[in-house]
Amino acid sequence: MTEMEPREAGIDSLLRRSMAAPVPSLPPDFDQRLMREVRRSSQPLDRYRRILLTGYGLTSVVASAVVMRGQGLDWGAIAVMILGPLALVATVPWARRATHTTMRHSAK
Amino acid sequence: MESDSQLVARAQSGDQQAFAELVSRYSALVFRPAVSILGREFIPEAEDVAQEVFLKVHHAIESFRGEAEFSSWIYRITFNQAVNLKARVRFRSPHADETVLHQAVSPEPGPYRQAETAQRDQALAECIQTLPEVYQSALRLYYWLGAGVGEVAVLLGVPENTAKSYLYRARQLLHGMLKERGYSCD
Repeated sequence: MTEMEPREAGIDSLLRRSMAAPVPSLPPDFDQRLMREVRRSSQPLDRYRRILLTGYGLTSVVASAVVMRGQGLDWGAIAVMILGPLALVATVPWARRATHTTMRHSAK
Repeated sequence: MESDSQLVARAQSGDQQAFAELVSRYSALVFRPAVSILGREFIPEAEDVAQEVFLKVHHAIESFRGEAEFSSWIYRITFNQAVNLKARVRFRSPHADETVLHQAVSPEPGPYRQAETAQRDQALAECIQTLPEVYQSALRLYYWLGAGVGEVAVLLGVPENTAKSYLYRARQLLHGMLKERGYSCD
């Protein structure tokens, strides 16, 4: 309880009376519902979406290769232009994880 | 009992059980500041804020480096999330808190006195809405949710003296505002 000037006591009791209301709380199953939501949001792609994504990736790689070949590029250059960005995409999460681990260790 | 930092480290390595323990440790401590910021018209929204906060924490826990306390980090996320939501739902807020009108049907003598009390309570509710966010939150935690000054300080992530001064300043401002509107606080 804070120390109060006499003139503060009036507004204090007014606030006490005016703001008196039942105190809300979270529903008892909040934790379980939340953990279900957490598991759902962190689940890896399901089988169907994985097949769809892989199919889309392969189709676009083949289409790009055909178009580039049609423009007269040799297969070596085509392979570099397709595999280069893929390698970059694959390395970034790995590099981030490695940097993060190193920083955590050095912070300790 | 495991410390927060031990649980966080386990959660960072993908241990769902550790995260569940953090949720059960912090769910009420996230909900109370959320509800104190949003007010009693938006209790379901405060529950949504609590859920959203934990989903954000789960998503970002790998990037938590432990430079600050986990509790400070989660309170900051809660505060931002609740203030953002309040800005979005403000237009749905009634002019004054309707519960004060319900409370007006009190055992006080005479209809004139009841109407006077209701008007003053309505004016008070309107004045509270104009206070800075942290003052409103401190008032609701202290007078509505029954938190002590120490708990207000913890829930707002400030030192105890600062929490005391928030409450003092809020009372002073409300006293002045009510006086300006012609209401007595006695």
